[in-house]
Amino acid sequence: MVSVDKIWRKSLLKTLTLGLVLFLLSFIFDAYNQGQLALVLMLFIGVLSLTVLTGSSGQISLGQGALMAVGGYSSASVITHLGASIWTGFLVAVFVASVFGLVLGVAAARLSGPYLAGTTLVIALALPSMANRFESVLGGDVGLMIDFGMPPTWISNLIEVGYEQWQLWVSIPIALISLFFVSNLLTSRAGRSWKAVRDDEIGAAVNGIPVARTKVIVFVVSSAVAGLGGALYGLRGLVGPSVYPVSLSLTLLTAAILGGVGSISGAFIGTVIVVFLPDLVSWAISGLAVSEQVTNYLPALLTGVLLLATIILNPAGVMGTRHRSKH
Amino acid sequence: MKELIVSDLVTDYGHVRALDGISFVASSGEITTVIGANGAGKSTLLRTISGLEKAKSGTISWGDIEITNLAPEEIVRSGIAHVPEGHAVIPTFSVLENIEMGALFRRRKNSSDVKAAISEVLDLFPRLAERVKQSAGSLSGGERQMLAISRALVSRPKLLLLDEPSLGLAPLVVEQIIQTINHLCRSTGLTVLLVEQNANTALAVADHGVLLALGKVASDQSAAAMRADSALRSAYLGY
Amino acid sequence: MNTFISTLITGTATGAIYALAALGLVIVWRGAGVVNFAQMGQAMFTTYIASNLIASGNSYWLAFVVALISGSLLGMAIDLLIMRPLAHKKSSSSTKTLAATIPVIASLGILAILQALAGVFWAGEERGFPTPVNSFYFKNGTGTLPFSAFNLFVIGVVLTVLLSLSYFFTQTGVGLGMRAAALNPEVARLSGIKVSRMRTLSWAISGAAGSLAGLLITPSTNLSPNSLDLILIVAFTAAVVGGLDSPLGAVIGGLILGIGISLVTTYGSPENVFLAILFLLLAVQLIRPNGILGGKQVRRG
Ligand SMILES: Nc1ncnc2c1ncn2[C@@H]1O[C@H](COP(=O)(O)OP(=O)(O)O)[C@@H](O)[C@H]1O
Ligand SMILES: [Mg+2]
Repeated sequence: MVSVDKIWRKSLLKTLTLGLVLFLLSFIFDAYNQGQLALVLMLFIGVLSLTVLTGSSGQISLGQGALMAVGGYSSASVITHLGASIWTGFLVAVFVASVFGLVLGVAAARLSGPYLAGTTLVIALALPSMANRFESVLGGDVGLMIDFGMPPTWISNLIEVGYEQWQLWVSIPIALISLFFVSNLLTSRAGRSWKAVRDDEIGAAVNGIPVARTKVIVFVVSSAVAGLGGALYGLRGLVGPSVYPVSLSLTLLTAAILGGVGSISGAFIGTVIVVFLPDLVSWAISGLAVSEQVTNYLPALLTGVLLLATIILNPAGVMGTRHRSKH
Repeated sequence: MKELIVSDLVTDYGHVRALDGISFVASSGEITTVIGANGAGKSTLLRTISGLEKAKSGTISWGDIEITNLAPEEIVRSGIAHVPEGHAVIPTFSVLENIEMGALFRRRKNSSDVKAAISEVLDLFPRLAERVKQSAGSLSGGERQMLAISRALVSRPKLLLLDEPSLGLAPLVVEQIIQTINHLCRSTGLTVLLVEQNANTALAVADHGVLLALGKVASDQSAAAMRADSALRSAYLGY
Repeated sequence: MNTFISTLITGTATGAIYALAALGLVIVWRGAGVVNFAQMGQAMFTTYIASNLIASGNSYWLAFVVALISGSLLGMAIDLLIMRPLAHKKSSSSTKTLAATIPVIASLGILAILQALAGVFWAGEERGFPTPVNSFYFKNGTGTLPFSAFNLFVIGVVLTVLLSLSYFFTQTGVGLGMRAAALNPEVARLSGIKVSRMRTLSWAISGAAGSLAGLLITPSTNLSPNSLDLILIVAFTAAVVGGLDSPLGAVIGGLILGIGISLVTTYGSPENVFLAILFLLLAVQLIRPNGILGGKQVRRG
């Protein structure tokens, strides 16, 4: 048994290295790709929330985008209506999303497999109606406009920071915090007891693990992470129904599957794939004379094919084989 | 006449070896009983013969065809019917539907023969005949076992594989079921492979006995010899 | 009063379509153990096929039949090419819970591919879809009657399909074999029933039922790659309300949802429809997890 201390230090080191690499990339990439990289980090947090849920409970949620929306809306509300800072917004997002996760988890602890998948899908679809119902606070069909703002003067006095770069700089620490939190959680004692529940509910119960409570806690943690990611995602300019459509949930799921369910490094690779695939496709076909409808739908087609191929060829995903041998 | 020849049969469940080189012959028109303690591999043997489990090595031949590792739905077409452990019927189906299910694959080619087969099995078990419309779930344990056997017989098998028909049933009912099978074997030439934990009951009607212990054949001799072998009885059968 | 009656009749007609879609879900769930989230994607695709046939001058009825046939072929193809290989793989997968979610994810992948393909082939913009009979309210001497010929057509078609399916499953040998294969695959195989063939047949029947639902609902939703997503949600809810394992439950669930949504839209606000669906879905699962007609052992997930 490796000491917990050592795992901590190792994952801290990994996280900081990743942070450094991302920070350096923020100087190398052009503005567009800085924005894309920031997008990767935002979605990565959402994918991490699925990694927590699926990796440690075996269940999938098609409504993770809705939980991101909860985070986005709660942070946007305090920013717009109370004039809070984006950092306060993050805290509020985590809190509110956790509460949502608690309610959802109590219901979901009794649902399994396709029931949970279908129910979370309906939740994702019901979201715009929710926004309309509380239009004065949540802004109805349009939503609430917020953004990353400008870097504080002590930074902009030192160095000139572009908007996309600033976006990336805010995203890096938030993503790293989520990453550090999730990776340590999954290897902690709590994380291991979650997996025990996933693999064998009855056996876990026999060993004194409170099964129902564990399932709820997994949901709360997963929602908290999703809420944080959603708050960050909303800062791109708008928090509204169009920003968190059902397809967002499916994108997150695809990224999680591509990378290998339950694998953190896989979650990152999967997110990079889903974000950069459309760019890659349009670059690849730029020389060819294809019509606009093909260009529009080709990335979605490829993502779908990739998802299906992963499921058929290697259900554990791109990183799955390595991940599994670790246990 | 066809006989069932099993040679060097090996079957694994993952890393667990359930059958470890089984060989024996079930002669045509006879009752061969397979006895042995719980976990000896009796059910696995029947399941491998009927195709539900895959053999790792060895062969099973039935008359002049080899049936090793054919699919169950093929094997039943070659005249082998399996009544698995535990009154395997579909509780939400009516009694008649459960029986019809066993003859579905012959229905199109031979619909008049199927009708005859259904009424024959109902003659064999009058208690079922009174309850054809009832759901199988409402039957008693003994009736369910009769239904499971009827489901198998209606396919007009030449070889019947029976897995612990006595399990959980009252002695009187067991006697009735065993005697029906015995009668069927003697009057129609049906070959029977009867798995039992209850060795006394089985050896009383069987012609031949195969004793399994930990996946191997521990003894293979005539039922009469087995009944008389007191050393074997105390070593393996515990009475 | 007229509004109320017309709301009821329209609700019954759409409810009948939901029932059909829900029945499609139930058939594949019972027959193959998969909740097929791609079902209405398949239906969207075959409705596009019908739409193109009509646009190129063929009759509605030819398009109708071709769509149903392609629906069942598509269902079969999904089983043979994707679900069957996956089922063989499933047993080697690391955990049981995950193994149960793999076909769900696969069906989502199929949905994504079908929608993208529809976009690539037929562009993304909405187009209409015709009805075979008039969809305006009937007129008599003094005013309008609260229903249209299309309402009656829908109810008639769905009723015929439901009765034929019920006859098929209870009175024919193949239907008996399909039910046996779903309820106890082992005993079914020992009885000589080709269980995997029965599964494929479930996919075919469900594919055709979904396609029919697509053809009947599209006149009121218009046609686009995503136009039937909402029908899937409603059908799923209807199936869960009815117990997911119960064909009759699916039909009742479909009617409840159809009439309920119609009432909410007319007397409440259309925006509340989803909240109402979500509420119903959660309430049923928490209060009666096996649905109104589901058996005790319904949940396999
Ligand atoms: N599905 C299975 N998976 C793993 N091991 C099994 C399975 N079925 C049986 N076994 C094992 O195989 C051996 C033989 O079992 P079985 O054939 O059921 O014995 P019997 O019918 O004589 O009681 C036992 O050790 C049992 O634990
Ligand atoms: Mg046994």
